[in-house]
Amino acid sequence: MADFPLAVNVQGDYGYKVVVVDSHCTIDEVIKTAVDQIVSVLVAPFPEEAVLRARVHGATRPLDGSLTVREAGFIQMEALQIYVEE
Amino acid sequence: MALLQMEEWYDLARETNWTPRYVPEDELYPLPMSNDFGIPVEKWESFDEPYKVTYRDYVQSQRDKDIGAYSVKAALARSDFFRKASPHWKALLALHFSAVCWAEFHSASAFARMTRFSRSPGMRNMATFGTLDEIRHGQIQIYFAYEFLKHDAVFDWCHKSSKTENWIIISLRHALDDIAHTRDATSAAIMLNMGLEQAFTNLQFVALSADAAKCGDHTFATMLQSIQTDEARHAQIGEPMVRIMVENGRKKEAQQMVEIAFWRMWKQFSALSGIGMDYYTPLEHRESSLKDFMEEWVIGQFGRTVEALGLDLPWYWDILKHDISTFHHANQIGVYVYRATEWWRPIAGTSPEEREWLEEKYPGWNATYGKCWDTIADNIRHGNYDKTVPVAPPLICNMCGLEVTGTAGENWQPVNHHVDIDDRRYHFCSEPCKWIFELEPERYKGHKSIIDRVFDGTIGPEPDDFYEYMGQSPAERGVDGYDYQWIDGYDDLSSDGLKRAVG
Repeated sequence: MADFPLAVNVQGDYGYKVVVVDSHCTIDEVIKTAVDQIVSVLVAPFPEEAVLRARVHGATRPLDGSLTVREAGFIQMEALQIYVEE
Repeated sequence: MALLQMEEWYDLARETNWTPRYVPEDELYPLPMSNDFGIPVEKWESFDEPYKVTYRDYVQSQRDKDIGAYSVKAALARSDFFRKASPHWKALLALHFSAVCWAEFHSASAFARMTRFSRSPGMRNMATFGTLDEIRHGQIQIYFAYEFLKHDAVFDWCHKSSKTENWIIISLRHALDDIAHTRDATSAAIMLNMGLEQAFTNLQFVALSADAAKCGDHTFATMLQSIQTDEARHAQIGEPMVRIMVENGRKKEAQQMVEIAFWRMWKQFSALSGIGMDYYTPLEHRESSLKDFMEEWVIGQFGRTVEALGLDLPWYWDILKHDISTFHHANQIGVYVYRATEWWRPIAGTSPEEREWLEEKYPGWNATYGKCWDTIADNIRHGNYDKTVPVAPPLICNMCGLEVTGTAGENWQPVNHHVDIDDRRYHFCSEPCKWIFELEPERYKGHKSIIDRVFDGTIGPEPDDFYEYMGQSPAERGVDGYDYQWIDGYDDLSSDGLKRAVG
């Protein structure tokens, strides 16, 4: 268990934010933490049916939502995009 | 006996490259302070300033300028301008004075280095005047700013800011340290004079002075004019230096200096003056947008100057053309929502009428950055003031010290560039910021952004620790300049709201 800062940009937001999670958090939990902190503050709520994914900045494929931060092999302040799956 | 005309003695009088007898040349001009780039001294002696002035004329001219500026100030002291000024203009004054006064004063050090260590006697002469100019610019602006202290304690930051670790000040100080205060005399002359003064401040002061006059702030306008005329003179120090470098096989080095300095100063200009032009200047007095200004005066005029000197346009020119429509809009959102981290009272500048202007000047603004403002305004409208401030801090660029931003809203385009060194990730807001870092990682890698300092324990974990680290007492934390009474337009301000906002 360790605090792990990640840089995240939630779809629609103007820039990256730093979100602190636990290294044992899953990607889905990272998404939830970021959404809790950004949506309805800088970004309008997404439609209820929207499915949110995360990907490493620059990557095209989404990360497996069940993967933990530690398992993903991230460096601290790894940049992640959180977006609505089309 | 008849006095000689200036042109009859000027060249001889400034020729002070005497042959030293008591110290060797390399001790008189040590390389770290006085890089000659291997160019022979007779080539440096060809420095010929476009605008020649004698000390006698300089003193007379500066005295006249001071008399003019101080007379206007004295005459208008009772006009009560500040008390009646809009929160827009108050925010602009607070931002200008607290970011510029000390920066000008510190510049005297860079000019003094050029005065002492330049290989060109002509430049030493010009830099002497530049040194005096910068002392005057620091003093006159602090003096004028302090007039407002009786109305608003925020102007204490005109002097205080440079001594703090506030994140905006760290950003500006890092940029100026990089181009002016940690470079040899030759490099500083090119980087400071070409990259900052010729590219930005000379022209900026013309525009800001005109805006001030339109807003009825004649004291500020006159003071700015008195400074701008100095800027115009010593902005020209860089040109002959670049010309000598290019003509003597050092184009590559000169090109790189201009590219580093210009980009570093663009980022500062974008965040500070861009916000000032497009959000803080009252709408009825706005003419040009930042984009208009940049396209005409910087991309156009400065670009032509660069090419006329034998340099190429900076490699990132197309990136710049995109940045002038994006970066400051994103940063304005951050400056507003993280307002408690600033010492002045930030303005949203996004009332319905202002949004129309922004959409006209930046087509697509409503669908992009406007979407974030929709959410902010919605929270204000429903009284959810706590939701107008994000819990998550912003990611800060490890070069410019400003937020790492992209395009918001419907055309969402995240931007991020990074470098990994020794298990540390360095983030950058742009390709040029990353490029500058990678030119000299050893020079830059030890610096930590304000956010890095939060996570490495430099700043304590309690909420107040962050503000105390930045030198901000509870009374020095920014709040909305209109007390949230802007979302439906300033015409609809209730008398109570306006009274609270204007003070």
